Amino acid sequence: MKKFKIFFDIEKEEQWLNEQLQKGYRCTNISGLGIYTFEKTDKRYVMRLDYQDYLSKKKFKDYKGIYEDFGWIYINGSWLVGIRYWQKEDDDQNEIFSDRQSKGNYYKRLMGYSSGLGLLLLSFSYMLYKDSGLYLTEGLWSMKGALFWKAFLFETPFVLLRLLPALMVVFFGSSFYKAYRKYSMLKEE
Amino acid sequence: MKHKLLPLSETMHYILLALREPLHGYAVMQKIEKISNGTVILAAGTLYGAIENLSKHGWIEPVGESGRRKVYMITAEGSAILKMEQNRLLHILSLYEGSESNEEI
Repeated sequence: MKKFKIFFDIEKEEQWLNEQLQKGYRCTNISGLGIYTFEKTDKRYVMRLDYQDYLSKKKFKDYKGIYEDFGWIYINGSWLVGIRYWQKEDDDQNEIFSDRQSKGNYYKRLMGYSSGLGLLLLSFSYMLYKDSGLYLTEGLWSMKGALFWKAFLFETPFVLLRLLPALMVVFFGSSFYKAYRKYSMLKEE
Repeated sequence: MKHKLLPLSETMHYILLALREPLHGYAVMQKIEKISNGTVILAAGTLYGAIENLSKHGWIEPVGESGRRKVYMITAEGSAILKMEQNRLLHILSLYEGSESNEEI
C-alpha cells in the first residue's frame, strides 16, 4: 500500500505514521516526495522520528549501530531532510529518548532546522516580491469591468503559486514556535 | 562559569561511572540498568547523544572496537570530573546527618 502525504510538522508526521502502524501495517519505505510505502503484518510496530543534522559516514555508522542494538530498524528517508525514521516491534521500550535533557536537545535541533529553512525561504520570498507586486499583468489595476475580472481571475492561480514560498515561511515559523514551546517547557519544570 | 554539563545529570553520571571499564554503547545501557537496580534504562537516542556529548568534551574516548561496535572508556579528565562530583555529593550527604556540622565534637 502506498500513501501520499506532505508534512511540515515532524510530530504530526510521527503521529500519522503510528496511526497507520496500529491498523496492522509496517512501513517499508519513505520517499522524499512524500510517498510512504506500507505492508500488511501480523506484528505490531511503532515508529519514532529523530532529527539529526548532517552526519558524516562514520558518525552515521555509530548512530545507526546504537539504535540497531536497541532493536530499531532504520527506514530510508530523504537524504536532503535530516529526519531519521526508526521502526521497531512494539514492546515496553518504545521511546528513543529517556531523559529531559536529550528530549530538550531534540527540540533544539528541530528549532535549528525550522529556523534555518524558514529564513532561507524568507530571503527567497523577499527577492521574489521586492521588485513587483503579486500581480504581474501590466495595467491590471486600471482595467475596467469584465476585462479586469477576467485578467484578475486568470492570474490568481499563478499568484498563489508565487505565494508558496511565503506560505512555507509561515509553516516553518509555526513549527519553530511549537518546538520552542516544548523546549522551554522541558527546561522549566 | 560552571561547565554546562555540571552538575552531572543522572544519565551522564551513570555513563561515566559505567565507563570506568571499557564498554560498547549497548553494554553501557545494560550495565546501567543493573547498577541502578533497574531504575535507569537509557533509550537509544539518549545514549547516542550522551556518548557524543561526553566524547566532544573529552570525558570519554573510543578505545577500540568489538565487531562493528565502538568501545568507549572514561579519560583522565572524565575521572577528575567524577572525583569532583563525588566530593560535591559527599558534602551534601554530610549535611543530611546533623544539622550543623561545626557543632560536632
